[in-house]
Amino acid sequence: MRESIVIENLSKYYNKFLALDNLCLRVEENENVGLLGPNGAGKSTTLKILCGLIRSSSGVAYIDGVNVAEKPEQSLSRIGAIIETPEFYSFLAPQEILSYLGRLRGMRGEGLRRRIKEVIQLVKLEEWSSVKVEKFSRGMKQRLAVAQALLHDPPVLILDEPALGLDPRGVVEFREIIEGVGKKKTVLFASHQLVEVVQLCSKVAIIDHGKLLVYDSITQLEKKYQSLERAYLELTGGSLE
Amino acid sequence: MSEFEKLRVVIGYEFLKHIRRKRLYVILGLTLVAELLVLILLPLLMEGYPDNVMVMAAMLSIGPGLATIGAVFFAGDAIAGEFEGKTGFILFTNPVKRATLVMGKYLAGYAAVALLVVFGYVIVSISLLAIYGNVPIETAKSFGLCLLYAGSVLSVTFFFSSVSKGSMGATVMTLLFIMVISGIIDGILAMADQPNWFLLSKASDSISTVYGGYGLLLEGFMPEGSMEGMPHGGRLLSALKSPDISLCVLSMVIYLVVGFVLSVWTSRRRQLA
Repeated sequence: MRESIVIENLSKYYNKFLALDNLCLRVEENENVGLLGPNGAGKSTTLKILCGLIRSSSGVAYIDGVNVAEKPEQSLSRIGAIIETPEFYSFLAPQEILSYLGRLRGMRGEGLRRRIKEVIQLVKLEEWSSVKVEKFSRGMKQRLAVAQALLHDPPVLILDEPALGLDPRGVVEFREIIEGVGKKKTVLFASHQLVEVVQLCSKVAIIDHGKLLVYDSITQLEKKYQSLERAYLELTGGSLE
Repeated sequence: MSEFEKLRVVIGYEFLKHIRRKRLYVILGLTLVAELLVLILLPLLMEGYPDNVMVMAAMLSIGPGLATIGAVFFAGDAIAGEFEGKTGFILFTNPVKRATLVMGKYLAGYAAVALLVVFGYVIVSISLLAIYGNVPIETAKSFGLCLLYAGSVLSVTFFFSSVSKGSMGATVMTLLFIMVISGIIDGILAMADQPNWFLLSKASDSISTVYGGYGLLLEGFMPEGSMEGMPHGGRLLSALKSPDISLCVLSMVIYLVVGFVLSVWTSRRRQLA
């Protein structure tokens, strides 16, 4: 099986703080992998390096064989991403924002209009598609973030806490969306919600202090530690008490 | 898809953002009010309009202020805002070079500022035509200088926007640099009789002095004989050296190019942590 995401000895310093410490990870094509770890473990830093938002201090990362530091435009063309809690230009409506981003990715004409309609329907923003984002709640912006990540039907999805800010119904709908599209995509998915990870991913990578603690299938981890929760807590030094 | 096509897309949507913002219409309204104030107050306070059309044209010339305010309002948040407002998490994860994004934002911002300048000069031209029956050719020169000045101020604003954490910081730094620091150094160098052509404040003066230098402006603002009561009979004021237009053009081109190149370079290196 081809590897979609390859991370080799990735390290990242923020001044003197070591956020990533020789991290290695390989994600195969169409595999859905959950990236777990406590706050400050290095999850967001890893995803930001993959998206070209920050540079690594050492090591390399590849998306579909393309070095993200050397050819960021080429690697980004294969990615759909939600990083942190993104904001949108408040003076524009979802249709305009998606049109802007779609056109930047070379989409145009009827194909773009049709695809915008599809993703807006998918995230259930039909009634708000022409309303300026300044009137949107946090959850609605998060839905729009999901729409822009899926707009160009990328082979790789990089999601950093994508359900943050969604109400319970939104969380369920979001899981259904990712569960559906994730079957044909490679997904690297950072989350604190173990239930969500179990539902959406087949494998997990648990990191702490920038180091990879374990990378295995959820089934194997559950066999070894009885549950994913127990595995997470034992590996990250937490307690079940 | 070529970078040029992406540039066109960025310009289009960035300009749409400017059009949607209330600040564009607020500045257009303020421009109209400022010009109307000159047109209404001059005849009330100075017994009619000046006899010389050039003096009136210079008095109506609010282009430098307009270009400065337009540039800082439209460009202060152009780069800093993407980092501060987290919109960069969406924009920068697209397969577009940062240089293309900065250039697109710059050109869209320039188009918005140029719109303000054009609006200001349309008012000036209509007013001169209505009062004097003609528009001096120097108005076109002043317009051209104002457009160049707008580009240079925009570049300086982009530079501060690229190094600032927030939009407000970029706006304040630009205004301080152009209106305070540059002005103070300009005054000191003028008093010491040293060259000051390289300052943006001097470049902005060229937009109104193109009508006939400081002497003409003083003639318009000072009633006949009022200079006689001043020290040295007002000769010091009259002796102020008008800026050399060609040197001012050179200075503005330098600010435009250097400011823009530095803003692209800084933006490319900046990380969105």
